[in-house]
Amino acid sequence: MAFIGKDVPAQNSPALVAGAGLYTGDVKLDRMTYAHIVRSPYAAAKILSIDASAALELPGVLLVVTGEELRAKDYAMPVEGFGKGASLKPFALYPLAVGRVRYAGEGVAAVVAEDPYTAKQAALLVDVDYEDLDPVVDPERGLTADSPLVEPDWGSNVLFEIRMQAGDAGGLIAKAARTVGGELRHHRYTGAALEPRAYVADYDPHRRTLTFWASTQCPHPMRTLLAQTLHLAENDIRVIQPNVGGAFGLKIPYFQEEPLVAALSLLAGRPVRWIAERREDLLAGGHAREGHFTWQAAFEDDGLVTALKVRYVADVGAPSALAGWGQAYVTGFALPTCYKIRDTDVEVVAVTTNKCPWNAYRGFGKESSSWLMDRVMDAVARETGRDRMAVRSRNFIPPDEFPYPQNGGAVIDSGNYPQALKRVLEMIDYANFPKLKAEARAQGRYIGLGIGQELTPEGCSIAGSARFNGWDGATVRISPTGEVTVLTGVTSPGTGNETALAQIAADQLGIDVKDVRVIQGDTSLCPYGLGNFSSRGVIMGGSAVHIAAGELREKLFKVAGRMLEAAPGDLETADGRIMLKGAPFRHVGTKDVVATIYGDCHGAAACGVEPGLEATRYFRHENVYHQPETQGRYSAYPSWANQSTALIAEVDPETGVVKILRYCAVHDSGKVINPMTAEGNVHGGTAQGIGGALFEHLVYDDCGQLTTTTFMDYTLPTALEVPHIELEHQETLSPFSPLGTKGVGESGVTSPLGALCGAVEDALCEFGVRIDRLPLSPENVWTALHPKGGRA
Amino acid sequence: MKTLVKLQVNGRVHELAVDTRAKLAEMLRDDLRLTGTHIGCGTGSCGACTVMLDGETVKSCCVLAADANGQEVVTIEGLSKPGELSTLQQCFVENHGLQCGYCTPGMVLAAHQLLKDNPQPTEDDIRHAIAGNLCRCTGYQNIVKSIRAASGR
Repeated sequence: MAFIGKDVPAQNSPALVAGAGLYTGDVKLDRMTYAHIVRSPYAAAKILSIDASAALELPGVLLVVTGEELRAKDYAMPVEGFGKGASLKPFALYPLAVGRVRYAGEGVAAVVAEDPYTAKQAALLVDVDYEDLDPVVDPERGLTADSPLVEPDWGSNVLFEIRMQAGDAGGLIAKAARTVGGELRHHRYTGAALEPRAYVADYDPHRRTLTFWASTQCPHPMRTLLAQTLHLAENDIRVIQPNVGGAFGLKIPYFQEEPLVAALSLLAGRPVRWIAERREDLLAGGHAREGHFTWQAAFEDDGLVTALKVRYVADVGAPSALAGWGQAYVTGFALPTCYKIRDTDVEVVAVTTNKCPWNAYRGFGKESSSWLMDRVMDAVARETGRDRMAVRSRNFIPPDEFPYPQNGGAVIDSGNYPQALKRVLEMIDYANFPKLKAEARAQGRYIGLGIGQELTPEGCSIAGSARFNGWDGATVRISPTGEVTVLTGVTSPGTGNETALAQIAADQLGIDVKDVRVIQGDTSLCPYGLGNFSSRGVIMGGSAVHIAAGELREKLFKVAGRMLEAAPGDLETADGRIMLKGAPFRHVGTKDVVATIYGDCHGAAACGVEPGLEATRYFRHENVYHQPETQGRYSAYPSWANQSTALIAEVDPETGVVKILRYCAVHDSGKVINPMTAEGNVHGGTAQGIGGALFEHLVYDDCGQLTTTTFMDYTLPTALEVPHIELEHQETLSPFSPLGTKGVGESGVTSPLGALCGAVEDALCEFGVRIDRLPLSPENVWTALHPKGGRA
Repeated sequence: MKTLVKLQVNGRVHELAVDTRAKLAEMLRDDLRLTGTHIGCGTGSCGACTVMLDGETVKSCCVLAADANGQEVVTIEGLSKPGELSTLQQCFVENHGLQCGYCTPGMVLAAHQLLKDNPQPTEDDIRHAIAGNLCRCTGYQNIVKSIRAASGR
């Protein structure tokens, strides 16, 4: 039987459900010590002095380290730009703040002690003298000439700015008969994986080797970065990624704590463990979103959008070695998403502030692009009096125009947007909704329907990047007894890609998926690879497994052909047998062929065939454009999944509370390897999208203090807020990946934003309510309903 | 400062000296090496540290180890023998009721308590019963499905 396309239970689940997982925080080593980090209470301040004497006197304290000491050792962290997409202004970065702090929560000193309680107690005794400075908290103010500067050497707070123009949008809008425009504000929130960041570093001073356990998404790039920072040889470092308790982009390197914990082990000469407290992760574990769109569109009477002009100011927080600021670029790059609008003018300004740096978070900026386009389409529908579905359909890239060159430089691989939207509206019984709404209204209830149309570029491949690129590797190995081991450079933080990889290998080799074991997340075992981000596990890793297993299959067929006296090209394999196509009674057991290759390499069947059954192959995605000089375009994204969502929500105008009553979606990520795990990804993305749209909010006060530092203030959706999701798949294969896969890891997170805004406006249409910001918290919805304050 | 604690964990009696500052979750993890009990927030909000204490679920990050003296604790490791799974755990595997697995031990114990108190719960009962346990991966849908499946077996 074939396994691709089947609901195979995730291979990691039995151990995890028994509580037998191994997460980084579970690692305990002999002579292990414990680190605690002293963090800045100020958003912006000069560090005048650090006095660690009282801390060092506490019994059990081994050492206290400051940023100056790490700078003296030249432990500088490499900072990477976005290739040919956008380049960064330069700045120096160390594992602890040097000279000044740039956000509340930045590490200033670190304590190592014999137990975690003593380390924490000692951290309280480290006396840091600060001179606090005026922080940059509001990015709009940060752009003014008299603003304080996050990086004084830059002369402004702009980290980068970029303009992407196609045609003459400004000219068309100026001359157009009909235009519409507005503003849109996205708030700051984050992934909040349930497992906080954790690292265990074990430096062996005799062998000069470092073993580093990390709750990370990218063990190999982590190894490269640690080698660069700590001046170690890369082959002396082993990074192990055990089970990871959720990541969502937030565990992509390179956090200051990562080289810090490794440096502490180098300095202590003993193993060091650090586990973030929840407060530390909310303060310094990477944030995302927070941006301000100003947009204008020209359109015709039938709803056709002819031009779009967008300015996007993103508050990316303090400069860092994290990849998060790239999200601002991607928001601009992905426009105008799944629509065919020839003339666009997109300007992106990434502003640094004295807040926690952005890190990657599921959606990686494209959630904002699709959200903006949902708002544009709803506005055009309102202006023209046409149906919201009809306006979207009028503007979709037609299904017969793929691969479609989009304005930002990308070539969108495939899609059938009208079909997905049509189907989801059938699912939710769109035609009958006005009746439903009228009935509810007659009962004094306000319900509305919203449409979310998401486009999710995947497989991020940045020119010149050591971390984000469009390739990955796999080793496939068949043992003498016939079982298969897959070693891969991609990792799974719980997404289930190990199971999909096993399914792919099983089908290539015609064996049972139970006979395939996948090993990930250990730089000493696996081929160099870039880990997981941008839904690349199956796109890149799965393709590499497919190719490597295919090479072994060829070898098996060559030997089996001699055993069966048949041409290899006439063979096929399934159920542990290799057989003649059309004549399955002429077969040989795959295990017999394996045994022949291992045990009889001088015999008639295997002689002349290279011994051994192991293949390492790398896959490079070809729908990437890194040579604009000759290719005429730059595109970091090869793979484009999409989803159409329709939901019905109820709004209580008295309180502003929004409740989702029904949620339907049609998702298309090309070929689905494992529907059950793929759907699990979409469910989780949807819950995060709903949480972000409705209430997750990282709130800073005017002094740059984060006021939401526990899960009691930073509220996450529970089982009571996430509705049952009615989900269907559509499979529009990518022509660029061997199996037609497009990536599913970020799907679902985007469409709740646009769909909920649309539903709230629809529910409150009789009041003429306009939604121009997220979250749709009771306060914001109530304020939209009462723009002048007081009671309506 | 250390204090002597005697308690029963998963049917075995333990007597050990623990730091007076240690939470029950930390003692289970660091001293008894029962690392299936996870810590996600330390403020009793996420439920990853859920264990049974004298037959009722508690969030073990909010119980001092010293206060568990004389009590009976059941952790996720106590629900099944090594290499085996309970019916409820098996239902989580079959219905993909977990992804990263970090919330799972607490979620399974919350569900275990629910099915003990109410063997035939409605979807609404299930959602309320697990509302004190956060999951960031699954959107709860397949967790609900897993618990429903277990309630029928």
